[in-house]
Amino acid sequence: MTNPHLNQTEETIIEMKNVSKNFMLPQGQVTVLENISFKAVEGEFVAIVGPSGAGKSTLLRLMNGLLAPSVGNVLYQGKEQHGINFESAMVFQNFGLLPWLTVAQNIELGLEARTKDAALKKEKVNRYITKVGLDGYEEAYPRELSGGMKQRVGLARALAIEPSLLLMDEPFSSLDVLTSINLRNELLDIWSDRDNVVNTMIMVTHIIEEAIELADRIIILSNRPGKVVGDIKIDLPRPRQKRDKRFIEYVDRIFSLLA
Amino acid sequence: MKSSEGDTVPPQSLPEIGISQILGLVELLIGKEGAREDIYRLAGELSMELGETLTVIKAAEMLGLVHTPGGDVVVEAFGTKVIDASIPERKELLREKIELLPVFKKVREFLATEENHEVTREQVSEKLAELIPNEDAESSFSTLVNWGRYAELFGYNDDSQTFYLDTDEDRGE
Repeated sequence: MTNPHLNQTEETIIEMKNVSKNFMLPQGQVTVLENISFKAVEGEFVAIVGPSGAGKSTLLRLMNGLLAPSVGNVLYQGKEQHGINFESAMVFQNFGLLPWLTVAQNIELGLEARTKDAALKKEKVNRYITKVGLDGYEEAYPRELSGGMKQRVGLARALAIEPSLLLMDEPFSSLDVLTSINLRNELLDIWSDRDNVVNTMIMVTHIIEEAIELADRIIILSNRPGKVVGDIKIDLPRPRQKRDKRFIEYVDRIFSLLA
Repeated sequence: MKSSEGDTVPPQSLPEIGISQILGLVELLIGKEGAREDIYRLAGELSMELGETLTVIKAAEMLGLVHTPGGDVVVEAFGTKVIDASIPERKELLREKIELLPVFKKVREFLATEENHEVTREQVSEKLAELIPNEDAESSFSTLVNWGRYAELFGYNDDSQTFYLDTDEDRGE
């Protein structure tokens, strides 16, 4: 599979322009991200790779508007972004599910702020439950689910709001090795499904192989403060095999940038 | 479906393995030459204990996705078919396998004979202990619920602690 979405418009969805982010801590000001610039175009799958402490999660929160940059601008479809971006949705490492709500209720939660139409909400919940393979689990509680099923709920909740930008913060890092293989493949299946609204995806990960397996382009961040030290296009057909010679070359190249 | 198979094959305990892990195993193997791997090497590659690896393989084998000649694990044609299918189609395909597993057949038969097609969690646990003596009924229980939900063979409500048959009349809302 090549990227099913690219070469359609090449329209920039989100752009970080000379973004820095400082936090005030008791010991003084700390710069977490410094002079970050990159953009993601419509239909692109971008991975952001860096060691822990590189400010990757902060970067995602700047993109969805939960945080504002200290310096620089975040442009969404060419306009400066102020406040939360309701066209984006987030998938979290630890799933972010409410334990007292069922699967269906957790998925519906994301729709609450967007529509009051109960029938429409129900229709969307059912639609995305089916997309991620959760039919039959509607009334289950998170405690009854395996990690893989929990993250399917997290993904369905994000997809249900039909975001034009899907942000993922280490979405596979809490899963066992086999489950994460399965969910990575299913994420690509969902992404390549042309019925879906979401075309553009940005994923943060500390695992280089995971980024190369999935993404069209990888932004590499250095540590403390996070700075862009590389922006590499991954020119390999999918599915990508880790033992492939060119795959290994990409691993080496990114590794040397991080070292 | 009435078949004699469930009566002649003694019910096996259900491994405490999720559907995602099973699918991940098959996907990993499909990426390998000949869609096969030595089990011992596979455990090493996954940094998993051999016993744990064998449990996942056993689960995949119960669903007809892989077989294990010698010390290898090999993807069956059905396994490739499942992975090539879309996410909703996978459920349909796996449902056909899960509903034939003796434990699931017995529990479904049990539900079918009860009034309102409903039984309590306790009754199902007792049934499991009867079907698979000397086994940890609790771990089989969680797999029964999870695979049963995945295949939509029955519903389970943890608030009321009841199992019910997901008949078409019930489903229409």
